[in-house]
Amino acid sequence: MAHVRAQAHAWDELVAADGSPRPAARALLEQLAALEHAELQERQNLAELDILAMGITFTVYSDGRGIDRAWPFDIIPRVIAASEWRRIEVGLKQRLRAINMFIDDLYHDQRIVADGVFPAELLEQSVNFRPECVGANPLHGVWAHISGSDLVRDGDGTMYVLEDNLRVPSGVSYVLENRAISKRVFADLFAQQSILPVDSYTDELNRMLCSIAPEGVSHPTIAVLTPGIFNSAYFEHSFLAQRMGAALVEGADLVVSSDDCVYMRTIGGLERVHVIYRRVDDAFLDPEAFRPDSTLGVRGLMRSWRAGRVAIANAPGAGVADDKVVYAWVPDIIRYYLDEEPILPNVPTYRCVYPDECAYVIEHIAELVVKPANESGGYGLLIGDRATRSELDAHIALIEADPRNWVAQPILSLSTVPTLCDGEIEPRHVDLRPFILSGAQSYVTAGGLTRVALRPGSLIVNSSQGGGSKDTWIVEAD
Amino acid sequence: MLLSRVADNLYWGARYLERAEDTARLVRSYTELVIDLPTSALSSWEPLLAVAGNGVMLQRLGEHHGAAGGEMSIVRFLIADLGNPGSIASSIELARENLRTTREVMPREAWQTVNDLFLYAGSNAASGVERRSRARFLGHVIGECQRLDGVLTTVMNRDEAYELWRLGQSIERADMTTRVVGVRAATLLASDGPDSKVDVHDDVQWMGLLRSVSALQMYQRVTRGPIEGSTAVDFLLFAPSFPRSVASCATRIREALSRLPQSSITLPAVDHLDAVLDDLQTRADDGAELDAAMEEVQAALVGIDDTVRDAFVRAAA
Repeated sequence: MAHVRAQAHAWDELVAADGSPRPAARALLEQLAALEHAELQERQNLAELDILAMGITFTVYSDGRGIDRAWPFDIIPRVIAASEWRRIEVGLKQRLRAINMFIDDLYHDQRIVADGVFPAELLEQSVNFRPECVGANPLHGVWAHISGSDLVRDGDGTMYVLEDNLRVPSGVSYVLENRAISKRVFADLFAQQSILPVDSYTDELNRMLCSIAPEGVSHPTIAVLTPGIFNSAYFEHSFLAQRMGAALVEGADLVVSSDDCVYMRTIGGLERVHVIYRRVDDAFLDPEAFRPDSTLGVRGLMRSWRAGRVAIANAPGAGVADDKVVYAWVPDIIRYYLDEEPILPNVPTYRCVYPDECAYVIEHIAELVVKPANESGGYGLLIGDRATRSELDAHIALIEADPRNWVAQPILSLSTVPTLCDGEIEPRHVDLRPFILSGAQSYVTAGGLTRVALRPGSLIVNSSQGGGSKDTWIVEAD
Repeated sequence: MLLSRVADNLYWGARYLERAEDTARLVRSYTELVIDLPTSALSSWEPLLAVAGNGVMLQRLGEHHGAAGGEMSIVRFLIADLGNPGSIASSIELARENLRTTREVMPREAWQTVNDLFLYAGSNAASGVERRSRARFLGHVIGECQRLDGVLTTVMNRDEAYELWRLGQSIERADMTTRVVGVRAATLLASDGPDSKVDVHDDVQWMGLLRSVSALQMYQRVTRGPIEGSTAVDFLLFAPSFPRSVASCATRIREALSRLPQSSITLPAVDHLDAVLDDLQTRADDGAELDAAMEEVQAALVGIDDTVRDAFVRAAA
């Protein structure tokens, strides 16, 4: 995660340093300029009413209770020129192709380790490497079918990959819902210019899931496996099932029979399931293979998967590459498997597992963003120049206790987008999470989820911690 | 392909929403009736409570609100009290909770309607207790339930999910009609006996009763004469043309179960309901007997509910 020292140093996505509109955002900025603040606020209020009425929510936890909250949305979109986007799209596909080859290699010959490109000790220490997956052969050699890579733009305009989410990345439903709302808010702008549609995602997802069905199954039954209504992303699980006509199942709805096939319990008896889009973490998937206390999974699921009777997306074990330590090797991974230079750069990353890099991190902690290698949701994250001395010391103690679990990166100057804050338009920091599908073919969403930190100067974009969201427009500029 | 868990939630979602609508119709008609009648003729709001719930609730109400039996406390209990699981506000909340887990099988508009209703009830139920805003609140609740029905009728596949919804709705509706007949018709018929003093307001009472299941106008179109207690009861129980009559609901229940899996297991429970209704048609319209007979019908409905759960939910577990 990055941070802006002064707003003047940040790259604004809509407005150039000299105050002129960026070409792709010109029509939007003209419209914004023509609107009184009161009108703009009125549109914002209507958008929020729509969100409430459509029941677009996410769940947060408070006092041990899941509470349904209205999805936070800012009407001013983030705009990216189509010409730039095409490059990002190619870069993401390249990245995921290499990452999938890396995962497949780790669970087979481990050539990359034998060739000395990826350190053997890192693999040994990986908490996400699943010995149960060694030798498994998911179709097309693809393990991470659905991924979300977080992108951030530094002060000089460079777009970096900040992290790859390969386990159960969420947020794509809000990409589609944000667009549905934003088409109402700025209907005329959609008529005036060419903004790439996002709606086909669920169809592409459906197609990808069909493409990984066990051999010989031409019309697979697809199920979305959710931990249940108390999960923070339940809305999304339900949304995706709805849009694909798939069943939305919980672990208790499924059973693995003696023929090693997976069945769901319907009112007409047991019915075979061929493809499971699981939104449950590896550790909870199958009490027989992983955590025996899990009530979210299905006993025997791994057995069925290994026998090729059911496809699971993402494949168990794919998380081995979703690790802020492995992240640091992705450029090498791309070069190793594809013999290509990475199209999208990584943020320089210090790995505390190495004593010299760890010493650097501890010495320069006030200038770095320090993050745990295996947490998501922004918990445990420390932004060096925002922290007090005692907070820094507390994190140093954490790092020294378990160095492998920590990485650090320089503080980037996260880009901003004008955002409606109490009736005024102010710059707020954003990141971007595009979603990448990998199956027989690959697909990248047109844009992705733009998350925005709503407090002035804040870099925390997670909705669980008060972040908001924006629609993302990929615009063909003339 | 309908998951047992989803089927259960749909069935209950339908029952809760029908309960909300029926309770709204009941309270609306009773309020109109009370406003019509001279103050001396109808002193009690308790029959309303007896229809919608039971004596245990009344006792609870007394503990919570002090003045048990007063209009405001009873109406608040039936409309807005989240501590009463059968109140309109609770029923809507429960329906929404159930539908939240069935969104993938229902048309999107259906969920939005229930969500709208939930938001509306959340901010208006309390003010709906007041006489001057009560009709508006109840009318809105009924209207939204009808909107949902329209959505399902016009944009939903005639699939298992649809049939389960109709099943839950029809069972709940039949149950409510029997309770209206059991409590209020029985009371009115008892006061009709040769020894009792003639109540000049009887026709108004019967009109109110028919209205409480929105049957008055349809009753008059069919019978084309002044209201009589026995034909009114007959209409509410047996009229094949009126969709809220118990017989109509039974037909709808049979249709739904015939189109769902395992009908050989579930249909005998409907046969039993039909037998109870047939038997009833031959009996006298005596007040005391009617109340007991309605309990038999209710027991048959519970029997269907049990059978359905056995076939669709418990068997799969």
